[in-house]
Amino acid sequence: MASYRKKMLAVAAAASMSVALAACGGGSDNGSKSPGGSSDSAKGGTLYYYIFAALEHTDPQRTYVGRDITNWSRTVYRSLVTFPISDDAKVSTTPVPDLATDTGQSSNGAKTWKFTVKDGVKWEDGKPITCEDFKYGASRVFATDIITGGPNYIITYLDIPEDPKTHLPIYTGPYQSSPEGKAAFDKAITCDGNTITYNFKKPWADFPLAVASLHMMDPYRADKDQGDKSNYQIFSNGPYKLEGTWDKQKGGTLVRNPNYDPSTDSTDIRKALPDKITFDIGKTAEQITDQMIADSGQDKFAVTERRVPAAYYSQITGDIAKRAVTVTSPYTDYVVPNFKRMTNLQVRQALAASTDDTGWVTAGGGEKAYEESHDIVNPAVKGYQSDLFPAGAGDPEKSKQLLQQAGVQMPYPITFTYPSTATADKQAAALKAGWEKGGFKVTLNGVANQDAYYTDIQKPDQKADVIWAGWGADWPSAITVTAPLFDSRPNLTKNSNGQDYGAYDSDEFNALVDQAQNATDLDQQTQFLQQADQVLAKDVAYIPVDNAIFYFLHGSGVKNYMNTAASNGFPDLGPVGVK
Amino acid sequence: MFAYTVRRVFVGIIMLIAMSMVTFVLFFASPIDPAQFACGKNCSLEQRAQVRKGLGYDKPVWEQWKNFAVGVAKGRDYPEDKSLRKSAPNLVAHCAAPCLGYSNVNIATVTSEFKTRIPVSFSLAIMAFILWIVGGVGLGVIAALTKGSIIDRGLVGISLIFFAFPTFFVGLFLLKFLAIKWGFFPVPNYISIADGGVWNWMVNLVLPGLTLALFYMAGYVRMSRAFVLESMSEDYLRTARAKGLPGRKILFKHTMRAALTPLVTMAGLDLAGLLGGAIITERVFNYNGLGKLAVDSITVYDLPTIVGLVLLLGSFVIVANIVVDILYAFIDPRVRVG
Repeated sequence: MASYRKKMLAVAAAASMSVALAACGGGSDNGSKSPGGSSDSAKGGTLYYYIFAALEHTDPQRTYVGRDITNWSRTVYRSLVTFPISDDAKVSTTPVPDLATDTGQSSNGAKTWKFTVKDGVKWEDGKPITCEDFKYGASRVFATDIITGGPNYIITYLDIPEDPKTHLPIYTGPYQSSPEGKAAFDKAITCDGNTITYNFKKPWADFPLAVASLHMMDPYRADKDQGDKSNYQIFSNGPYKLEGTWDKQKGGTLVRNPNYDPSTDSTDIRKALPDKITFDIGKTAEQITDQMIADSGQDKFAVTERRVPAAYYSQITGDIAKRAVTVTSPYTDYVVPNFKRMTNLQVRQALAASTDDTGWVTAGGGEKAYEESHDIVNPAVKGYQSDLFPAGAGDPEKSKQLLQQAGVQMPYPITFTYPSTATADKQAAALKAGWEKGGFKVTLNGVANQDAYYTDIQKPDQKADVIWAGWGADWPSAITVTAPLFDSRPNLTKNSNGQDYGAYDSDEFNALVDQAQNATDLDQQTQFLQQADQVLAKDVAYIPVDNAIFYFLHGSGVKNYMNTAASNGFPDLGPVGVK
Repeated sequence: MFAYTVRRVFVGIIMLIAMSMVTFVLFFASPIDPAQFACGKNCSLEQRAQVRKGLGYDKPVWEQWKNFAVGVAKGRDYPEDKSLRKSAPNLVAHCAAPCLGYSNVNIATVTSEFKTRIPVSFSLAIMAFILWIVGGVGLGVIAALTKGSIIDRGLVGISLIFFAFPTFFVGLFLLKFLAIKWGFFPVPNYISIADGGVWNWMVNLVLPGLTLALFYMAGYVRMSRAFVLESMSEDYLRTARAKGLPGRKILFKHTMRAALTPLVTMAGLDLAGLLGGAIITERVFNYNGLGKLAVDSITVYDLPTIVGLVLLLGSFVIVANIVVDILYAFIDPRVRVG
């Protein structure tokens, strides 16, 4: 999941090893309980949203954090299609029309997608949103030296020739590109009145899911574009607009957009109840939790993206507990065997058999922090399989038998590398205990320099036998999980393992990924991906250890509070209102 | 004296140049690739190279430093790519001299970022300074005048306790109880005098100022007490008392004057240190000053801001040293020829 920076931030900031800040994609509301949410559709009031760290971007094409994607989707940035509000994860991960009249028409084996932009949809200055605005928005993604940090899948899909020297598309964005590049782009995305057509070089069966999950395909007005200088500009086409400017360190306030026409939208997507939404940046999780517990003044009308710290669990009782919500986040943690060192399948199977998932979760803070995981694919993501890994406390006896069958030295020495924090050290110790019961001799290698963690584990010559990592889907399809993590072809190079940290290299798996990528419909694609995931499980290419749990508090004056798969597990601003 | 001052300023500039060079070298010696850090997910090696070029990190370190130095002297335009500046002039950000660089993280020139941060750190430092000087010196004098009494022991003991507690603990304690739980103060949120008037500016500075002041105050209570007691045992004060001067005059005109002189030097240096930002206090109270900027920029490998901060904070120290050196030269002419 998430850009490299998100991973770094997550690892650096974590009191645990979950990728708490990491970006985007599918979420889950499995087990979500939101007793604070009642049905109250009254408009008015100000909602406060407490955020810890400064947003890196508010530019739609650069936004890549799950929280921000969902917040902007519900308030200022509408897309061709989006996800509706629903407690049901299946419903809230199924795209519905937003600025487009339908969820898109595919042809040419899912290589061509057509959408028609609705009539009457406007920007905040009253000008109509046109097909050209969508085309311009997509073009910005190609300016990878200016529009950095955002999702860029469109670059690899859009039918534009590559420059043999740079191995990048010959089109380099709207700011400077060769005439050939521009012509190729104009051919790849065409506008016919209000109808926009995307031509891809390979099938993109789940394109609407990608459009609904990310803002990379959002419209952008060319006359408002100042490249990097537009990073904190919000030019709205949704029910709210930014009042004044966005202060990176303090946040900003959204007020009603007079040029928003609710008849072009649906209350299944945006109820737009509060008159104002104020984003307040900079408070720590402890400070936010203190204020939420006190529940006075504006805090009554506040929601947050900060999880309740473990030290506060004992205070969340009585009436306060009624304002607490636990929700399965879209983020999954896993460990990978290093295939360059742990070459024997039975040894890897022994490792999986003796993995004490229960101990890991307990050491991490228990059910309010983590749940045991059965698949690297998150439960809310299409392609999830609940029977791939048994989880639980492990089976040491089975592990020993497997090691004996493998004929290896016992105890079998292994080194486990992970980013060291106080909580992570405890979790690693729990894993170590389980593995040692199963016949391994474990050396823990907690990496103190967490900023360098992912750089470290990408090194092809690393000495670790088992490596921790975290991930979450960019959109609710397994194609954004197993393929980027285990397809050796884009990952393994002379200088780096990329995101295939264990250097896993399987022709069988890669072939199934190819079949999935060439699938022309989503069900067919999912079928191939599930088979591919089974290959990974058979080879023990990874062992899932947890799905991170979001444990949030909100103010007593917040109504219709929900955390949905559509909102990546964060507070969903679509239905929310204040007293 | 003029030659001496010029020499010291020249040495200071050399030090700043050396500091900027060392910072550049250390930054690029780090195992972190800032381009990878800035690049999005699924960023291929080719895309990363393009991002590196966009950030200007593709050039040799010495060339980057040279460009930086030219920017300080003459100003610079961003982005670096000349053809891009030509094809899309609306993307260009001009950074006037002395340009300390352009932060792609903050999407602003480093100097403009400093302009918003310096008032916060300065306000905090000044509030803390007033509190600790008034409190520390006042209580120190009271302790000295009541030497051996319960008041004396109590003040010295309490000051030791505050000295022992770490700043983050005191800050969180004050925030949690005085602001959030009991509501005696608003939850601090920096408001400039221009935005909220003097009262709001001051009220919001009390808790963070007090957090810093309690730490410094503890030291100043003990130092003031010691200096006052030392002065009170001097012969000239015995003479003053023998002459029948009133106690108040002896205290304020003779004792305090002599006792507080070393404290003024100490206070000046402490204040200079605080002007560069109080990292923990700014973090606890979410004050966007120079200290918080330092932490944030290091966390996200924001080279231009890191270099700018090193130079700014280094300048504070160097200027303070030069001032002290010059003052010494006035006091002791031997320094001028040394």
